[in-house]
Amino acid sequence: MNDRLRAVVDRELTLEESHVYLKAPITPREREGVLELVRWFTARYPTPVERLAYVRRATARWRSVSGATTARRP
Amino acid sequence: MRSADFDEVAFFRSAHQSGARALLIGRRALVLLGLPVLTADYDFWISIDDIDKFNRAAASSELTPSLDAEAARRRGRYVLENDEHVDVLVARSIPTVDGVPVAFDDVWTRRQTISLAPDAVVCVPEIDDLILTKRFANRPKDVEDIRLLNVLKGKDT
Repeated sequence: MNDRLRAVVDRELTLEESHVYLKAPITPREREGVLELVRWFTARYPTPVERLAYVRRATARWRSVSGATTARRP
Repeated sequence: MRSADFDEVAFFRSAHQSGARALLIGRRALVLLGLPVLTADYDFWISIDDIDKFNRAAASSELTPSLDAEAARRRGRYVLENDEHVDVLVARSIPTVDGVPVAFDDVWTRRQTISLAPDAVVCVPEIDDLILTKRFANRPKDVEDIRLLNVLKGKDT
């Protein structure tokens, strides 16, 4: 991740910004999208160890694609 | 230790067997709860009295603390690192960005445990407490994660 992108990802929101986002109702579509992801993830990787291993592999892939050899936070 | 050589389960096993009161927070806790989010780091909140125990456990995975225990207590946080990166909070209480104090002992009391292997257990905050820890910072990904957690627990916002 380059420095400009990291600055965006890691920037601190104002309280007002975060409150607006957090108070927005969760739509049925958003809810179903999240729950579908959870269903896929927990079916594909049913144990906690498998889930953790998946994240390590996914992070390694992200690093190789982004060239972020030293970056810590995707 | 190269990242590819890091034995994640062994690290969690050592941490558990050390007796340190250590809560996995951050995105890896979300992953354990079933949310497929990406993260490179480990985030822990540990008892301020258990820094040495936790560091000894981490040493078995060749993780080195950035500060000694006394300095970590004063600062409230430190890092364990090799090719892996573990952020460790050590405060008795941390305020959210909204000013809500969150006490480690309370969160520890309500913790949930997740078994990785017969001898490897990870403790994570229950969902409402995990949401509070996501309010320690106020980054875009923190508020995204709070919405995911709210869906997971069946809330409307």
